[in-house]
Amino acid sequence: MIVAEWKPLPEIIEKLRGHKNVLLVGCATCVAECAAGGEREVETLAPLLTMAMKADDNPIQIQTKTLERQCEWEFVEQLADIIPNVDAVVSIACGIGIQAIAERYPYMRVYPGVNTTSLAIREQPGIWMSRCAACGDCILGETFGLCPIARCAKSLLNGPCGGTRKNGKCEVDENADCVWRLIIEKAESRGELNKLLEIRKTKDWSNSRHGGPKRIVREDLRP
Amino acid sequence: MDLDSKIGNFKPEIVVLYCKNCLAKDSGPVGNMVSNSKFSARLVMLPCSSKVEASHVLKILAQGADGVEVVGCPEKQCRFLVGNTRAEKRIEYARQLLGKINFDMDRLGMDRGENLSLSQLISLAEKRANAVMNIGPNLMKG
Repeated sequence: MIVAEWKPLPEIIEKLRGHKNVLLVGCATCVAECAAGGEREVETLAPLLTMAMKADDNPIQIQTKTLERQCEWEFVEQLADIIPNVDAVVSIACGIGIQAIAERYPYMRVYPGVNTTSLAIREQPGIWMSRCAACGDCILGETFGLCPIARCAKSLLNGPCGGTRKNGKCEVDENADCVWRLIIEKAESRGELNKLLEIRKTKDWSNSRHGGPKRIVREDLRP
Repeated sequence: MDLDSKIGNFKPEIVVLYCKNCLAKDSGPVGNMVSNSKFSARLVMLPCSSKVEASHVLKILAQGADGVEVVGCPEKQCRFLVGNTRAEKRIEYARQLLGKINFDMDRLGMDRGENLSLSQLISLAEKRANAVMNIGPNLMKG
């Protein structure tokens, strides 16, 4: 899922100064799963902002709405009747959802209420860890299903580095497993350690973020 | 009106969200409202304290209550096993959020009890009322 976390509240409050009627929008998909931008979080953030703005001597009225998917135009359209009655929108969807609202309603001020941070999995209740970096040239088939791009602090293609702790954790984050240790353990358990010695094709970074904005065209799906 | 004069006439309004299993079986019918010269309390029964979400208590404060008191069962005595532990974590989370907007965290709190009589439940409301007495009225009131 796409993972996000609330921006510091003073940062949101600063943006709302001068506004009177604000729409707070969430998304019931990825950001709801990571407890940052679903209906529950919308209904938690709304009273907090109401109280904070009153204390700031800038009282505001907040309407709330949670869309099923804020990254799909059909759902973003559901705001058409509400938007004319507000003077700003705070979205706690991922950056895609925030941009969808800003694009569909170009005359409206749209503020992000979250920072979108990664593509992650819920490792345990209350703990999310990166699993994918959307690098555009997947090598999971060569690394036994474990991604060193997203899960190694240095995104090493040939690891581990010299900094792995004795307990197998990453030198950068004592709570994160060294993914290269996991890769090697998995290769060993399958008796395929030699696979890691094979010379691999150079990774194609041109399909990653370095290659500019991604655009996928499927003529069969176009009108 | 300065804070001292506000506090002078201040009669805190407390909302008590309590787990029904905290009460003694012979506690008798519990009314919705309790009021005396020092404070008033609205008593709201829940099937379990775990039904309380951070959004619930924050909305109650945003609507002007001076304090919110959540009452759950003693540790490891929840009929839903970990419901009261979850409630406690959520209340602490909500308190931290209040702190981040410089709202006094003592307006919200949780206590535990078992076989509570009605007067004991009211005394927990009074405890919260005493905690908010020095803070003054909720600025969201009115």
